[in-house]
Amino acid sequence: MVEVVRAENYGFRYSESKKWAVRNFDLTVGSGEIVVLAGPSGCGKSTLLRSVNGLIPHMYVGQTEGSVMVDGRPVADTPMSDLAQKVGLLFQNPENQIFMFSVERDVAFGLENLGVPREEMRKRVDEAMRLMGITELAARAPHELSDGQKQRVALAGVVAMNPRLIILDEPTSLLDPRTALELVELLERLRKENGTTLVVVEHRLDLLVTVADRIVVMSDGTKVLDGTPRDVLFGDQAEGYGISVPAIARAQRLLAREGRAPADRLLSAKELADVLGGAGT
Amino acid sequence: MMWLSGGFIFRKGNSAYHRLDPRVKLLISALLFTATLLVRSIFELALVIAFAMAISATARVLRRVGRTMLLTATFSAFIFVVNILFTRNLETSAVYAIRFIAIVVSTSLFFITASPDELEQVMKTFRLPRDVVFAFVTAVRFIPVMMLDTLQIMDAQKSRGLELEKGNLLRRVRNMIPVLIPLVVNSVIRSGELAEAMESRAYGAVARPTSLVEYRARGADKAVALAAVLLFAIGVYSFYFVLPTYLP
Amino acid sequence: MIEFSDVTFVHQNGLKALDKVNLEVQQGETIAIVGENGAGKTTLVKHVTGLLKPTSGTVTVKGTETTKASTAQLSRTVGIAFQNPDHQLFSESVHDEIAFALRNFGFSPQLVENRVTWGLELFGLEEYRDSSPLVLSGGEKKRLTLACILAWDPDVVILDEPTVGQDAIQKERLAGTIKQLGSAGKTIVVVSHDIEFLWPIQPRVVVMRSGRIVADGPASSLMLERKMLEEARVSQPQLVTFYQELARRPRAPFVDPLEVVRWVS
Repeated sequence: MVEVVRAENYGFRYSESKKWAVRNFDLTVGSGEIVVLAGPSGCGKSTLLRSVNGLIPHMYVGQTEGSVMVDGRPVADTPMSDLAQKVGLLFQNPENQIFMFSVERDVAFGLENLGVPREEMRKRVDEAMRLMGITELAARAPHELSDGQKQRVALAGVVAMNPRLIILDEPTSLLDPRTALELVELLERLRKENGTTLVVVEHRLDLLVTVADRIVVMSDGTKVLDGTPRDVLFGDQAEGYGISVPAIARAQRLLAREGRAPADRLLSAKELADVLGGAGT
Repeated sequence: MMWLSGGFIFRKGNSAYHRLDPRVKLLISALLFTATLLVRSIFELALVIAFAMAISATARVLRRVGRTMLLTATFSAFIFVVNILFTRNLETSAVYAIRFIAIVVSTSLFFITASPDELEQVMKTFRLPRDVVFAFVTAVRFIPVMMLDTLQIMDAQKSRGLELEKGNLLRRVRNMIPVLIPLVVNSVIRSGELAEAMESRAYGAVARPTSLVEYRARGADKAVALAAVLLFAIGVYSFYFVLPTYLP
Repeated sequence: MIEFSDVTFVHQNGLKALDKVNLEVQQGETIAIVGENGAGKTTLVKHVTGLLKPTSGTVTVKGTETTKASTAQLSRTVGIAFQNPDHQLFSESVHDEIAFALRNFGFSPQLVENRVTWGLELFGLEEYRDSSPLVLSGGEKKRLTLACILAWDPDVVILDEPTVGQDAIQKERLAGTIKQLGSAGKTIVVVSHDIEFLWPIQPRVVVMRSGRIVADGPASSLMLERKMLEEARVSQPQLVTFYQELARRPRAPFVDPLEVVRWVS
């Protein structure tokens, strides 16, 4: 498996701060993986994301330790224009990532910046909009759109640049549960159709637990847990690190300890009911 | 507030006028504007305004332009009164007052029929630096957002006991501080986030960015532009050389 | 305490945001208003303090019609905590920020001091007393906005999407605060689409869809109505789904959802 991201003993301290935002951080992300990054507010997730997409160190100054490599090259040595084509970052607030007055022009923004010729740009923009299901919104103005739609427009803008890795910073925070589920389905589609690797920072684990390959938990700037969803959520330490274990996982964990449910993988509500109450009618 | 939003903020329309190349729309407004500065009698000014209104009618924005005119009339009356006090000349004061209305109408016509994308294109034609054009377009794109933010901030502060509608002028101005500060702070936060997003999408990677859409002037656009210039020339000729022989 | 009588609200652009809404909130109740984004939840809540006035129908708070008083006056009784703290904070110090509303409502200087100190302590913000509110972290800002509202001791506290962007610890703390306020006799209205957060609180639930109230009842029974929830695009708490699935199996060890809640918590 080709590594998309490799962080080794990485540390970063913003120049205005005395505290290290990230310290002794190790992480590898393989191609096509979906990794969920969780942890309480202030644990360094945002700093880590920016260290992978290049905003650190190209836009923010501070002290660095260790290294972060994307596609085998250190981030610090790769110019932003290259990184922008390898790593896409979807920020938390979709509003502040949409610049243009029409949807399709905003989706084209990154490609225009890279000097992509018009014909190719047109193809890539249309394809990105199709993938995100926003083709009918092409001529609309962003302030006319709902939060969920803005989210997709921002994501389309990132997808159009064809990055190998897309990082999403709490993408569902403004969405209601149904719309959030639709977004997760979109992410799965991206992985399936384009082979995109995804790292999602999220508090609402119940939405992602079924699609994630791995959950990585951060606390106080460093990694504390790293494993499959089942490994992380069934362990005793999860709640101690301030992450919310989905109710069903908690139920299964309790039952597994009593020996009344399997402990090898996470079950859905239906599957757990099958185990406890016998096969469904 | 209404004057600004009614008279100068773009709203989508689908008349033939809206579909004109934005440079032609700019030309027409510029010609109207110049005409108002060149002519010197009330009759001639009224003709220019009537012409502008006729164009507004074809663009189906007559109601908005009409409303802008009415709202401008109050300030215009003020100009009239001040001029009367200083010059004691009825006719020149009226000319100044009406000229002001004509200027507002001719500029308003451009801004309400040209979308921000078209404004951007016009700015590019004048070879303004990319950063300036981008900053302008982004600013315009966020105007509706900021207007919404202002309403939400006002809601939040009213809910903390802030009375925005009571009190004398001084008190009302002071009461705007709890609204203005969050607005400014939010704008600063927004700028920071926009900067991150720009960097992350390779802004500035290439000296000459390409463009998804291309604006090319059609035959119809060129024809209208030519007609406008001709009409202008004829008008100026008439005003300066023909009419004076008929009017006192 | 609060009464909506046949309230309809139509936006300037013709969109009907509330359609003949009838709702009665008694003193001391804890209510959750749920529904998808755009169902009208925030519109409903804005009517309580007169931020919006009904196109037809009346809204009454403690006997006063909302059209007969200003928002500032109604806010003395009803405190609304909006979603975005950055839309409120502006003072030079955290102390002044909490004092702002108190001064607007005419509290005496001594009382202002008492209430500010009380608020700072309750929310663990004493160390920031003289700091600028703008340098606080996101979670601290949210606590501050809550402190600002509770400081003037309104009878009703309305929370608009309080869990957005909050981590597990912050949500737990919030749930605790809501329970505390409830025990103190406050009337609480929580607008939220976070069903998992609401479920353990067991509030009365009002489900909205397209500007109408489609269901109104205790969480323990309402959350069982799968079809109604699906049509309103409201998700079911995972444990309730689990309980319902179990109930359809040959061996069902649980009697009611509350037992499931207790068992897992």
